[in-house]
Amino acid sequence: MKVTIEHLTKRFADNTAVRDFNAVIESGELVALLGPSGCGKSTMLNMISGILDVTEGKIYFDDDDVTDVVPEKRGVGLVFQNYALYPHMTVLENICFPLEIKKVPKSERVQKAMEMAKLVHVDNMLDRKPSQMSGGQQQRVAIARALVKKPRILLLDEPLSNLDARLRIEMREEIRRIQKETKVTTVFVTHDQEEAMSISDHIILMKDGELQQIAKPQELYDNPANCFVADFLGNPPINKTYGVIKGGKIILDGECSIEDERFKNLEDRDDIILSLRAEAIEVCEDDGYNCGVIDEVYVMGKEVLAYITLGNNKVRAYIDSDESFKVGEKVSLKLKKRGFFVFDKMSGERIL
Amino acid sequence: MFKKISLNKILIYFFLVAGAIIMVFPFYWMITGAFKTGEEIIAFPPLWLPSHFSLDNFIEAFNKAPFLRYFMNSVIAMVGSVSICTVTTILGAFAFSKLKIPFKNVLLGFLLGLMMVPFEMIVITNFRTIVDLGIYNTILALIIPFTSSIFYMYILKGFFDTIPDSLYQAARVDGCSNWKYLWRVMVPIGKPSLVTIILLNAIASWNSFLWPSLAIIDKNLKTLPFGLYSFVSEGGAKTELMMAAATIVVLPMIILFIFARKHIVNGVARGGLKG
Repeated sequence: MKVTIEHLTKRFADNTAVRDFNAVIESGELVALLGPSGCGKSTMLNMISGILDVTEGKIYFDDDDVTDVVPEKRGVGLVFQNYALYPHMTVLENICFPLEIKKVPKSERVQKAMEMAKLVHVDNMLDRKPSQMSGGQQQRVAIARALVKKPRILLLDEPLSNLDARLRIEMREEIRRIQKETKVTTVFVTHDQEEAMSISDHIILMKDGELQQIAKPQELYDNPANCFVADFLGNPPINKTYGVIKGGKIILDGECSIEDERFKNLEDRDDIILSLRAEAIEVCEDDGYNCGVIDEVYVMGKEVLAYITLGNNKVRAYIDSDESFKVGEKVSLKLKKRGFFVFDKMSGERIL
Repeated sequence: MFKKISLNKILIYFFLVAGAIIMVFPFYWMITGAFKTGEEIIAFPPLWLPSHFSLDNFIEAFNKAPFLRYFMNSVIAMVGSVSICTVTTILGAFAFSKLKIPFKNVLLGFLLGLMMVPFEMIVITNFRTIVDLGIYNTILALIIPFTSSIFYMYILKGFFDTIPDSLYQAARVDGCSNWKYLWRVMVPIGKPSLVTIILLNAIASWNSFLWPSLAIIDKNLKTLPFGLYSFVSEGGAKTELMMAAATIVVLPMIILFIFARKHIVNGVARGGLKG
């Protein structure tokens, strides 16, 4: 099912959580709502589910306007960060509960619940209570419960935040698998970029209640719409250097000029940010261009992470471990094909 | 180190044993007294055990006053008020905990403020009310004034507050009504708290004396504590009969406590509530 969000705004008494938000979620996709804490992503999710009212704007499920439809009529399945399983019911009873409310006959209910339990791999613990299960298992049950009534859309609110690091990776692959098998349109909220990058078809990146960019994960990484998107994605964080454009070159603060073919056609302007991904920088022997000084070197096994001073700025770059640059050595930097961007400092808008 | 721990333990157990003796001794005295003869109970030095266990005192007490009748009245009043009160408590606690009500906190604060008015002060207005309702001197007069309780509601609300809202939201998107959610999810989860509330309420109802003594004059409608009082004041100073009657009055509560001890202790320890 396709979800269309048009000019959606949510105002609370003293703040605006979501502002004029437009997005389309294609049918059958797994979409991540990504953003820093407090950016309004959970509010968005709750408006899609109907738990929260909409202040302005419209939400469509396919062609149906569901903006004013009550949650139970929307056909959404919800999974919460704390799983929200009913503690006094067994796994089977938990999964059956949505069907029980719909007054599905008992035998049919149990049969459907068993199917779901099998899908999420909890069919060998149907008689257990939630308290007798690990976090990952509880999350599986919660997903089964959300899916058992065949919702039009599955919504997951920070589904992995309560799990430890290893389980998190396991469960995110599970969510991917379950989503592929059921083909249900899925939206999940996360503040973890790696989580979003690794399993989603599209990422909706939010900040302060506003849409920043919707794109495929790789596209978002390679082609950020603005400075925030570039900053938010990537590990180690993108290098931000400050300076001006002058005569087709970028002059960084501290009188360090960076030259590249692709800067030639840029108009002169003040206050820009040159953002460079660590892997976009090639460190070469000093040839008089784009000069920097190696400040610190960290050996990390297969590669070496170097901190390089460029005027008043400092950037991280990877060096092949067979190259031997020493601390204090003067080097030249070359920019690879992609992974560097120029933004306006004030607005954060992309210039290059 | 070893020595210190064991000394501590000895002290703790000493005080626990002393406390237990102080608590239990009156009961022991009452129960054994109920079996003693008139001479034995005033004997000096006191006798620890009666010479033989005869039920004569109980039979005489039952003959002199309709304790079975009193017992039934107590049971009816208790079951009536506790069951209705439990329902209103659950509904009120749910509403205050989970529903959106305008001025909810102001209303709750106001209701809690009413708890500061001692029962003795509202006795007169309550009395007028039951007279106006025409239920003076009926069992209903023992039930109607106790069909709601801010105190129990507040305790249960506190427990309901600890149940995460996500459970409510999960149930709501599944199409669960408030009513069904309350009885299928909240109440089963809150069972330990509820049992505690019911027990405390039952004990309070069983032991209540002031109100029955005002609202009832008919001999056949008296409850046990009130009946015991009349029995003592009318029956003269036969201590062994009083002991037998008192035993009859407290026995059901002792039995209840033995069976429900776990819940009472749990509730008190967990919720930090004092009866």
